[in-house]
Parts: sequence; structure tokens; C-alpha cells
Amino acid sequence: MRSTRRVVTIQSGEEAGRYSDPSLLVLASLANGPKHGHAMIEDIAQMSGTKLGPGTLYGAIARLETQGWIEALPAEDRRQPYQITAKGLRVLRAQLNTLNQFAKAGLRRLASL
Amino acid sequence: MNRRLAQLLISAYPRWWRQRYGLEFEALLVAEPGGLRNLVDVARSAVRERVISPNGPDEPALPFGLVATRPSAFLPVVMSLTALSAVIFHILLYGITRQADEGGVAHIWQIFMMGQLPLLAFFAIKWLPRAPGYSLCVLATQMVAALASVAPVFLLKL
Repeated sequence: MRSTRRVVTIQSGEEAGRYSDPSLLVLASLANGPKHGHAMIEDIAQMSGTKLGPGTLYGAIARLETQGWIEALPAEDRRQPYQITAKGLRVLRAQLNTLNQFAKAGLRRLASL
Repeated sequence: MNRRLAQLLISAYPRWWRQRYGLEFEALLVAEPGGLRNLVDVARSAVRERVISPNGPDEPALPFGLVATRPSAFLPVVMSLTALSAVIFHILLYGITRQADEGGVAHIWQIFMMGQLPLLAFFAIKWLPRAPGYSLCVLATQMVAALASVAPVFLLKL
């Protein structure tokens, strides 16, 4: 029952086209400049249609910072801006290229139906 | 979101996480709406952080198998199930009859149930601080096994 409802939602709603890997979304959001948490949530919602919850966002931030893919800048008031590192940019580029190839291959298959 | 509620939610995160991200996370939570979706999201993330990295990002959680295969983790479960088997064996042989405290089955049951208490305490003291999430799962399993053994004795007044 639960899974059926989920399938129906995905098929009929706007959820279907959304991408929701929090780490990649954060990296992509920081690709055009440093941002603090609230700005990232707004930017990601505008960019991908996915509104990350604050816990999910900070879970991704903690892991990305540990991996050295993003870094904290000096705090502004109580808000903490982050910027993407050179290593993070390489990772983002590689992941987007992979996604791009995957999307092209998938769309080709759909076109041949 | 209300600042007090934000602080309450943040207190569910591990200590290292609160020290590193607590202030900025509180500022974000106060700026965000306090709807049910955000509450669930933060609570779920707090549990996730406690399970995945309870001691810090550089010290990831121990594998669940390592915690669950410690003798102090599985022996209490085995003891409870053995005690339960003794009770079932007694019921099958003699029916639901009350046995005196001095009876053989009663002694076996008491030894297994009381004997696991030091093991439970040892497990909780040693593993709860190191792997709280997994340890709570193991402790819950131990409790269920113990209750399964205790229930027929008290319900059937054996």
C-alpha cells in the first residue's frame, strides 16, 4: 500500500524530475561563490526544485568538509559561509560529467522507444 | 523556528558535532520555518550522526558486526533463550504447573536470567560510549529476549 502510493506520487507529481543527492547539490550551489546555509537552501531549491531540510544540508556540509571538498570562511555574525575547494571543483566536474553521459545515454534509449 | 526548540533539537546531536556546527546550525534553524518536515529532518539527521560518526568525523563508527558479535552482546540473548527453552520444555513435559523455587528448571531459569545481568552491565559500560546507536540496538534485542523469557513465567504463574 505504502509503495503503491509512493509510485503514484512520483508518476503524477513534480517530484519525478528532481535530483536529490545532497552532497552534489551543495557542491553545485557553491560552484558560483561562497554561501551560508540559508542561502544554499534557497539556491538549491531554485536550481533543482529540491528543498533540502536543514538537517540534511548540514549532514552534507559536515561530510564535504571532512573530505576537504568545501571549507568554512570566517563567520559573518552567527552565520557560517562555505566555499568550494579546488579538490571539490574537480569532484563536482567529474560527477556532473558522469551524470551528463548517463543522462544522454538514458535519453537516447527513451528516444528509441 | 523557535530558538528553544532549535537548541533542544541540536542537543540530540553528538558532542563533537554540536561543538563544531552548533552555533551556525542554530542560526540556520531559527531562520528556517519550524514545520513538521524540518523537525523530522533534523531529528533524523541527529540520529544519523549519532550512528555514523558518534565520536567525530575522523573516527567513524565501528561496524555493526563488530559490536553485535562481542560475547557480552550475544551471550545475554543466548542465556535468555536458553532460559525460555527450559520453561517451554517444562510446560511440554509437566503442563502449566507451578514449580517450587528449589526445582531444577526454576534454578536453571534463575541462573541464566540473573547471570546475564553482569554481562548486560559490562556491555552497556564498554560499548554505549563507543557506538551508542548500535549498542542501543543490541541492548533492545537483549531486553526483548529477556522479556520473552520472563513473560511466560509471570503470565502463567509458573
